Amino acid sequence: MADETVQPLLQFEGHRHLTTRLLLSTLTGRPIRISKIRPSSTRPGLTPYETNFIRLLDSVTNGAQIQFSMTGTTLVYRPGLITGSAEGLGAMGGVIRHEIPRECSRRGASWWLIPLALLAPFAKDKLNVVLHGEGCITSSTPAGDVSVDSVRTAILPLYKSFGIERNIELRVLKRSCVPSQGKSAGGEVQLVFGHQVRLPKTLHVMNKGRVKKIRGVAYAVGVSGSNNARMIETARGILNKFVPDTYIFSDVSRAPLISGLGSKSDPNGKTKGAVGFGLSLVAESSTDCIYSADVASPPQGGVTPEDLGKQCAYQLLEKISAGGCVEITSTTTVLLLMAMGSEDVGRVCLGRDVLGTEEVVQLGRDVKVFTGAAWGFRSKGTADAEGEIVVSVVGKGVGNVGRKVA
Amino acid sequence: MAPALGKRKRITREELEQPSRASSPSSASQNSDGEDMQARFRRAFEAKFAPLDIEPVRTKSQKVEEPEEEPEEDSDWSGISASGDEDETSNGVQVFDYTAAHQPHTKGSKSEYRAFMSAKPPSLAATTTAKPKAAPKPTKEDDTVEAAHMKNDLELQKLLRESTLLSSNAPTYSTRTGSTRESNDARHKLTDLHVQSLGAKQSIFTQKSMPMSHRKGISAKTKMRDDRRRAEAKENGITLEKEQKVRKSAGKRDRGVGAPSVGKFKGGTLTLSKKDLRGLTSSAGDKDKGKKGRRR
Repeated sequence: MADETVQPLLQFEGHRHLTTRLLLSTLTGRPIRISKIRPSSTRPGLTPYETNFIRLLDSVTNGAQIQFSMTGTTLVYRPGLITGSAEGLGAMGGVIRHEIPRECSRRGASWWLIPLALLAPFAKDKLNVVLHGEGCITSSTPAGDVSVDSVRTAILPLYKSFGIERNIELRVLKRSCVPSQGKSAGGEVQLVFGHQVRLPKTLHVMNKGRVKKIRGVAYAVGVSGSNNARMIETARGILNKFVPDTYIFSDVSRAPLISGLGSKSDPNGKTKGAVGFGLSLVAESSTDCIYSADVASPPQGGVTPEDLGKQCAYQLLEKISAGGCVEITSTTTVLLLMAMGSEDVGRVCLGRDVLGTEEVVQLGRDVKVFTGAAWGFRSKGTADAEGEIVVSVVGKGVGNVGRKVA
Repeated sequence: MAPALGKRKRITREELEQPSRASSPSSASQNSDGEDMQARFRRAFEAKFAPLDIEPVRTKSQKVEEPEEEPEEDSDWSGISASGDEDETSNGVQVFDYTAAHQPHTKGSKSEYRAFMSAKPPSLAATTTAKPKAAPKPTKEDDTVEAAHMKNDLELQKLLRESTLLSSNAPTYSTRTGSTRESNDARHKLTDLHVQSLGAKQSIFTQKSMPMSHRKGISAKTKMRDDRRRAEAKENGITLEKEQKVRKSAGKRDRGVGAPSVGKFKGGTLTLSKKDLRGLTSSAGDKDKGKKGRRR
């Protein structure tokens, strides 16, 4: 503990990649200082959803120190131990209930869930978090967040290849879509992550295989279920030619009710949350690589289900054509887990376009700053895999601090 | 006249090759022209490749159908008129839409729905295949074979278990039934193994009584071995099973007849320890009073 206080702060700038930096800081235990967070914006400093994420981080860890500057443009974060949902530290009955207020509704629930799921395997105790509130959106959002269904069907299964597979659940308690201006969402999601490990296994994925099946979830919240059927039919019409084993399941639910938000005449009444519909598709290859696509209706409406189904199917095909064993939405998860693994070199094959995105490049740089080990790249030797690059990642070998003393 | 009811007549190859009598309003000359063309095509084809031998395909069904035609003429129902038929064909193209038929069932099975839509992330290796068919019921022959297999299996397992005795004591398996001294020993060991496999707590060969110094030495050695093992495991970061503390018997010591029930009587004096005193003075209710902290 004593040397932790003298550990120098790692310096970062800018508001981008905030979650991955906070994650890396928490996982490696190194304090960070992020400055120049939107200094020239009319609303400088952290946005509500970013502060809300830090709050969530605080509730699953113990002993974290967070300092903001006066304007909020500078943040100093000293991570604590990841405790999970240990009793007595903000958890009631083993469950942490985290509220996402209305001003955070620019981001989908997956923006909180994906980093949370990354912390969970390294927690001391099992993690059980319920996200709820007027800003909790379970569908995919225009900001680029995937739906909760995609998190469950496309990202959580990847943990299995790291030896993390038991007792993982993601329940959608209340569905909600993106609300229009001045409205609230009101979704509710529960993440149970009961498998904590000392170190994730080293991953070697070089062969992407061929897509053998496609599954999907079509959801309609507060609107007619026929929207689902229409989306499913168009999407199947496109995908069936490539993969006959295509099934898309339909989930119709009511609009969530939000209490205490009634109109002037009935202040204690309940109002309906945001409505809409969307589609989440997951393609799985013969070597267990997963590609996903996500589309939801915009809050202003005016899009036919057929268009959405078509768009989603094409998006899935595009993701598959980008190549690599890991698609863009789950790259952060896979690469971070690899970097947190044992002191061994893991390899993963990524598409050139996936690797070239800003997030992945910045993640690589940040990982180098935190762990000191850079990634190795080489193009895949075989002729058929043009545009694929093998990324070799050296594990940090720190792993779960809470699990060290068994 | 075409058959009015029943199956539609299958069109044979011959009929196909002939220009249809009804559908085309073409004259005889055109017909012959068409034939000409076909012949020419055929010749050109045969010049390039091997000649074709097209045999007119005669199906059975046609032969069966023919006798049926006669009684139908006798019946009063005239059926759908041939002229109507001809009209239909001359009208042009009949369109059949098979898209609906080609679309496989859109809903997955219920079990798959449950597997995919549950709260758990769907497993990567989940199979979509139907349940495996039940194995065919074993016949009587199979039963006897099965029983024989089972018996052999048991024998083999027994042999494997007892193989250590074989190697050290006797060269043959016949010692199991022998009667010499050595074989008797082997027999006892066999029995011991058997009893242990059935759940005995101790081997019958463990020595019960021995000089105290011997026993102390033995226990000290085992303890030392275990300690060393644990220390090495700790150094290497291996988690071991928890150490099992041997509990001393909690039951009351058997005191002699007429001896005091508390304390220690030695040299003509009864010595009471603090614990004994507490036991004497305190009542049943205030047991926890003396303790400093409560254990969670």
